[in-house]
Amino acid sequence: MRTRRARRVLRVGQYLLLAAIGLVGVAPIAYLLLLSSKRRIDILEVPPRLNVEWEVIRSNYADVLFERNFLDFVVNSIVVTGISVGIALVLGVPAAYAFSRYRFRGKDRWASTILSFRFMPPIAVAIPILLMVRSVGLTDTKAGLIIPYVAFSLPFVIWIMIGFFDEVPRDIDAAAALDGCGPWGTLIKILLPLVRPGIVVAAIFSSIFVWNEFLVGLYLINSEDQKTIPIAAAGLISAQRPIDWDVAATVGVVTLVPLLVASFFIQKYIVRGITAGAVK
Amino acid sequence: MMTSATIGERRSPPSVVARLRRWIGRRDALVLLGPALGYLLVFSLFPLLYSLGISFYEFDVIESDWRFVGLEQYRSLLSDSVFWAAARTTAVMVGVGVTVQCILGTALALFFNLRLRGSSIVRGLLVVPMILNPVVVGLMWRALLNPDWGLVNWLLGGIGYDAPPNWLGDPSVAKWVLVFVDIWQWTPFVFIVVFARLQTLPEEIFEAAAVDGATPWGRLTQITLPLLASAVVFAGIFRAIDAFRTFDLVYGLTYGGPGRTTTTLSFYSFETGFSFTRYGFSSSIAYVMVIFAAAASMILLKRVDIRREDAR
Repeated sequence: MRTRRARRVLRVGQYLLLAAIGLVGVAPIAYLLLLSSKRRIDILEVPPRLNVEWEVIRSNYADVLFERNFLDFVVNSIVVTGISVGIALVLGVPAAYAFSRYRFRGKDRWASTILSFRFMPPIAVAIPILLMVRSVGLTDTKAGLIIPYVAFSLPFVIWIMIGFFDEVPRDIDAAAALDGCGPWGTLIKILLPLVRPGIVVAAIFSSIFVWNEFLVGLYLINSEDQKTIPIAAAGLISAQRPIDWDVAATVGVVTLVPLLVASFFIQKYIVRGITAGAVK
Repeated sequence: MMTSATIGERRSPPSVVARLRRWIGRRDALVLLGPALGYLLVFSLFPLLYSLGISFYEFDVIESDWRFVGLEQYRSLLSDSVFWAAARTTAVMVGVGVTVQCILGTALALFFNLRLRGSSIVRGLLVVPMILNPVVVGLMWRALLNPDWGLVNWLLGGIGYDAPPNWLGDPSVAKWVLVFVDIWQWTPFVFIVVFARLQTLPEEIFEAAAVDGATPWGRLTQITLPLLASAVVFAGIFRAIDAFRTFDLVYGLTYGGPGRTTTTLSFYSFETGFSFTRYGFSSSIAYVMVIFAAAASMILLKRVDIRREDAR
C-alpha cells in the first residue's frame, strides 16, 4: 500500500516538474507578449493585470508597424533571408553532393575547412567585409548584406546536406548512371527528391541564422530604409538608454513572431537539423 | 615472374580507362564543388586573412590612413585590463555556462525519456528559445528582471525573498545573469542532441542489465551515461564555440555593463571597431578569438569525422 502511494506521489511530482520545465521555457516569451498589450503607464503595475484591451494592442502594434516602419523592416528581412538562403542552397547542395559521392585529393581537408567557417566568430570578418562591400559601393544595400549572408549560410547547408546525401544508397546513383543520367541528371532528377527533407532542414537553419543576423548587418547598414528587423530593433532597444517598454516589447514581439509561427510548423525539422552530425 | 607479369597485364589495360574515368569524375566534382568553394574562398577565407592583415595596422580615422605597427596592438592587448576582463567574462560564459547546460540538458534528456504523457508537447516548446533573436532575448530578460516592476522580483517576493539584488545593475551579479540567460536559451540544444542519442540506444542493453540485477542508479552511471558521453561532449563543444563568440545577447541585455563586467571578447572587439573605428585593434582582439575558435572546431570536426566513419 505504502509503495503504491509513494509511486503515485512520485508520478504527480514528475508531472509538476514537466509543467514547470515547460513554463520556464515559454513564460518569458508570454510575458513579452503581455507587455506588448499594455499602455506605457500600465507596465509599471505589479503584478501585471491579465486583461486584454484590444484598443491598446491595436495602437501599440500600429505604432510599431506603420509609424516606426517595422512592416518595411519585416519585408527587408524576408527579401534578404529568401535570396541569401536561395543562393546558398543553389551553391551548397551540389557541393555537398560532390563531397558525399566523389573521391578527390584533399577531400577531407576541404570539407573540414568549409565546416570550420561555421565556427569562426563573425566579428573577425565584419571589418574586412565592410571594407570589401564599401569598395564595390554596396554598403547600405540589400546586395551588400546578401553577399556575406550567403557565405555564412553555405557551411550550414553543406554540413547538413552531406549527411542527407550519405543516407541515400549509392546503388541509386549507379542505377541512374546505367539509365544514362550524367552527374547533374542524377542529382536533379533522382537525388533531389530523395533529399528534400534535408533541403528543408538546411533552408530552415540558414533562414533562422540570416533572420537573426545582427553583428555584420550593423556594420553594413546605416540608412533607415535598408535595415533588417534585428538592426532596426537594436536601434530602439539599445541597452544604453532608458527604454519605452511598450514600444520595446512590441518591437520584440514583431521580431520574434515570424520565427515563432514558423517554428510551430517546422519543429521536427529543427530537431533533425540539430541532431544532424551528432547522432549518426 | 609469371605472376607479376599477369598482375601487370591485368592492371595496365583498365588503368587508362580507370584514369579517364577518374579524371571525368574529378572534373564533375570540380564543377559541382567549384562555385561553393570559390564563393567561400572570396567571401570567407579572404576576409579572414584580410583581418589578420588589418590587425598589423593602425587605422587613423581622421586621415583615413593605415599605418603599419606590426605586433604592437597584440602587445598592447597583453597589458589591456579591459581585454583581460572580457577574456574572463568569456571564459565564464564557456566554462560555467556550457558546463551547466551540459548537466541540465542531460538531466532533461533522461527525464523526458520517462515518456510522461504530454512530454512531447513540452519538448516542442523547449525548441522555441533557441530560434529567438538573442538581442530580443536580452531585452525580454531585462523586462523580467526590472527592479521596479519585473515579474521575477514579484515572484521571488511571493516566496518570501524580499531583497533581491539589482540583477543587471550590480557589477558582481550582472555577469551571472548573462550566464543564466544563455543557459535558459541554450540548455534545450544539449537536451535535444542527448535525447536523440538516447533514442538510438538499443533497449536490450537495459533489459540485460535489469536481468543482471543492476539497480536503477547503477544502470544510469554504469551504462546510460557512458553511452551518452560522446553526444554530451559533441553538444558541449558545439555550444562552447557559440558561447565563446557571444555578442547579440550582451548587446540586448547589458551593453557590456555595468562597468565592463559583462563585456565579452566579441563585444569588446565590436566596441573598439564599430564605435571607435579602431579597426586594427578590433581585428587583433578578433584574431585572438579566431585562433581559439579554429582549435576548438578542429577538435569538434575530428569527432564528427570519426562518427561518420562508424556509420559506414
